[in-house]
Amino acid sequence: MSFDVGLIIESLPMMLSGIGITLKLLVVSAVLGLLLAIVLLLMRISGKWYLNWPAQAYIYVFRGTPILVQIFIVYYGFPQFEFIRDSILWPILREPTGCAIVALSLNTGAYVSEILRGGVKGVSKGLLEAGSALGMSARQKFIYITTPIAVRLALPAYSNDVVSLLKSTALASTITIADMTGIARTIVAETYAPYEIFISMAMIYIAFTWVLQRTFGVIERYLGRYTKREA
Amino acid sequence: MAQVFVASLVLMTMFGLIGAGAKLSNNLVAQKIASAYTVIFRGTPEILVILLLYFGSAIALTSLAQLFDPEVKFVDVPPFWAGTIAISLVVGSYATETFRGAFLGVSPGSIEAARALGMSPLQTFVYIRIPEMWRIALPAFGNHMLSLVKDTALISVIGLNETLFVAKQAIATTNQPFTMYIFVGLIYLAFSSVITLSVMGLERYGKRTTETAR
Repeated sequence: MSFDVGLIIESLPMMLSGIGITLKLLVVSAVLGLLLAIVLLLMRISGKWYLNWPAQAYIYVFRGTPILVQIFIVYYGFPQFEFIRDSILWPILREPTGCAIVALSLNTGAYVSEILRGGVKGVSKGLLEAGSALGMSARQKFIYITTPIAVRLALPAYSNDVVSLLKSTALASTITIADMTGIARTIVAETYAPYEIFISMAMIYIAFTWVLQRTFGVIERYLGRYTKREA
Repeated sequence: MAQVFVASLVLMTMFGLIGAGAKLSNNLVAQKIASAYTVIFRGTPEILVILLLYFGSAIALTSLAQLFDPEVKFVDVPPFWAGTIAISLVVGSYATETFRGAFLGVSPGSIEAARALGMSPLQTFVYIRIPEMWRIALPAFGNHMLSLVKDTALISVIGLNETLFVAKQAIATTNQPFTMYIFVGLIYLAFSSVITLSVMGLERYGKRTTETAR
């Protein structure tokens, strides 16, 4: 057994070529998931049971099942039905990348909506009462008081969720997508050098995570710039 | 699935406790190793860890076996253990932080009170720290258990004969992927519901003496 550094340098360009797909999966699913999360959040805090219950059931199901199973249901399961193959969604669901994005967005949406709900619940009652005292309508209070504070409160947990979304994109390799992990698996199958390839791949992911956490740290500090007290 | 879960739960708790112990110790080397452990395993996708442990240990074992007997062509670790250790390492890195937080969350006043009562450090640990710690750690620990349950699905990738893998075989004969995978999803949902309910019950049990006084 030996650790072949030459092989890492040799296959590094190939491994990095998957970064584009990983990024695409991450960004598109994060944006779609966030939109879905906002809809779910509004349903949950609407106070109407016929909106609240479906949202709660959705969140329960998607948080209680493995993301891998969800990806398999979308990719392998949906084409079982004639009507899905005839529907307008078929161009998306025919492609493995489309399936991965659909599954990842649906999954992350459930998690993020709970994070946002935590943020909304964390807004202190006194501020909302102050808003009422100033004669703000419910909508104004939500837009000008709840939203800015909830965003700040939810951001640290949200950054953790983006990191786990990044880690979930690696599962796209199980449905034939050539993301970073997919390419690493191909190289290992050809060279049979799991240590060199998988460890350097892990380092790329860790670097990626680090960049994400740094970015969110900067955003957090920017959003919190008025909340700091002078010492 | 249940077997993988139980085995990885034990290992995960162990890794978490060792990691937390190392992070809290005064030994600088242990601290460094533990923080490297959490950074590495929290930043790496689970599936990569599983693949690395499975294929990596196979190569290591094979070359080791060849030292003694050059005739050996290939030795591999059972996918059960490679997968179980991999997911325990990943979730254990999260548990490290949970246990560390719980240890630091024990209020100093309780510890001082124990000292004042003349308790030995061991007694303080058993009668004061542990009862306070498990209550603090429980909600996060419940989430770690749920992650473990869901991560067991990933081990099908290296060919362990668990729920998802069996579903794949069933699909090969029935040709009904949607039905099969939905069923797998329901099994997982049931499993995680049981865990959620047990954690809720335990939380209520933990609060029984502190909430009623109001």
